[in-house]
Amino acid sequence: MTTIKIVAVCFFGFASGLAVGSGFVAFLTVLGIIPRLTQLTKTMKMIQHYEWAVVIGAFTGVVGSLRDPLLNISVYLLIPLGITGGVFFGMLAAALTEVLNVLPILVKRIRMDGQIIILIMAIVLGKIFGSIFQWLYFVHH
Amino acid sequence: MWEVNVLEKTIYIRMRNRVQSRPEEKILLKDIAQIIAPDAGLSSLQAMMIHQLTEADRNMVVIDVMKVIHLIKSKFGEMEIQTIGPAQTIIEVTNKKKGVSIPFFLLIWFLLFFGSAMAIMNFHDDVSMKSVHEKIYTIITGKKEANPLLFQIPYSIGLGLGMILFFNHVFKKRINEEPSPLEVEMFNYQLDLDNYVIIHENKESMKRLNDDD
Repeated sequence: MTTIKIVAVCFFGFASGLAVGSGFVAFLTVLGIIPRLTQLTKTMKMIQHYEWAVVIGAFTGVVGSLRDPLLNISVYLLIPLGITGGVFFGMLAAALTEVLNVLPILVKRIRMDGQIIILIMAIVLGKIFGSIFQWLYFVHH
Repeated sequence: MWEVNVLEKTIYIRMRNRVQSRPEEKILLKDIAQIIAPDAGLSSLQAMMIHQLTEADRNMVVIDVMKVIHLIKSKFGEMEIQTIGPAQTIIEVTNKKKGVSIPFFLLIWFLLFFGSAMAIMNFHDDVSMKSVHEKIYTIITGKKEANPLLFQIPYSIGLGLGMILFFNHVFKKRINEEPSPLEVEMFNYQLDLDNYVIIHENKESMKRLNDDD
């Protein structure tokens, strides 16, 4: 009986991991963040390494969130980690906005075809403001 | 010898995609198409009137290449006409160039600003970003910290930086000059609109075979 239980639990764990993992990759693919980054840096040839970076990163995240490891390293390592994580989320948010096709329609409605950048800056500054406001003030209330 | 003769009798026209015009204006052939023709007829071809804009045209008119060919044939019957490129021109009738109204613009700007600020806060709450930040802080330093600002402030700045990178507007000159995804998206949207207009405003491109349905 116990063997069957163990096999079943392993199977269900494996199956749900498979579903979540492929969903995660599919989400990233739809948003096109990796192609965008390779296009900006002209490193299309390294795309396979980027795939591995995502896989290893996701696996590290799994270990970090399930096993609670303690590394006891310098606190200043958090600064580059924060920036890179933030850039990733920023690109995610920008890609989502673009998928929904909001800005082209809005820009056309108010006849500002030349100056999309001002509207983009509104969104960008809004995100930075919202995020900083949340961590400095909002979470304490 | 024969080939030269044929070439001399050929008019090449290429319709422009979009043309902007004022109301009540006369649309000439040179406004809506590029023309290559024998010198003799060129100037009268260029000045040939294709359409007179009226109130009834409202703000979009589609001129089909068939109409242009028909008009040219009726005047230069012996010439051969070759068309290249788009089969129609969209004439956009614009009144005086309307400026952007500042209050309206400010409204949209603050709408987007507070909208995205709220959206990111909702997102953070939704995915328990705070506890993830605390956890990362604990993993790296081994200490517990309720407000890991050292992680959160760089994260917030990076968030904006990532969006700018994605849209590639600010660093356009420095990184590369490819169009940003948003510009491509704007272009696609305009193309879709044009396609819609071409089919729906152009009476010739939709015709019912029997009128009774």
